Amino acid sequence: MSSVAFVMLFIGAGCFMYRLLRGPSLPDRVVGLDGLLSIIVITIVVAASRQSSGITIETVLVAVLVGFVGTVALARFIERRGD
Amino acid sequence: MGTVSGLFLIAGSALAMIGGIGSVRFPDLLSRMHAAAKAPTLGLVLVAIGAAIEIDTMLAVTTVILVVVLQLLSSPVGAHALSRASRRQVPVSLDDVDELTRDEQSD
Repeated sequence: MSSVAFVMLFIGAGCFMYRLLRGPSLPDRVVGLDGLLSIIVITIVVAASRQSSGITIETVLVAVLVGFVGTVALARFIERRGD
Repeated sequence: MGTVSGLFLIAGSALAMIGGIGSVRFPDLLSRMHAAAKAPTLGLVLVAIGAAIEIDTMLAVTTVILVVVLQLLSSPVGAHALSRASRRQVPVSLDDVDELTRDEQSD
């Protein structure tokens, strides 16, 4: 059952990667990066529950915090860059 | 893997995939952000419920609850900061009145 989940996460990661690479403006790329990090977090949780072990689940905390700080820092950069 | 937790995992992953498809298909920045900020957050909540059912140790359940609370607090804040910062620089299609410009000019 987790194979179905992994396939759907792969498709979603491909979509966000397309937005990250092709996004016409810098905020579109930030949207793609943020969504890709959400997909990574969900993938780690699905993989941990596939193995029924909570060893890798602490890394999710770090990923969520890094994603939030990165998004806010990029938003501040975009705001300041404007003329 | 149990049936209930597997269904939760599949539902959460489907929401994340829908968010990705929406971020590709929607026409401008704000609607892409609408798809990419909300759907994967609910997907993470569903996947965390499934993982908490499946793993079932005290440490894992506590960590998963902490992750869900952090994501629910930080995802709207990040999306709001990004949309507010990029409002002036990216062309978006609005309906008839621009409330942000109106409120800033009325000060």
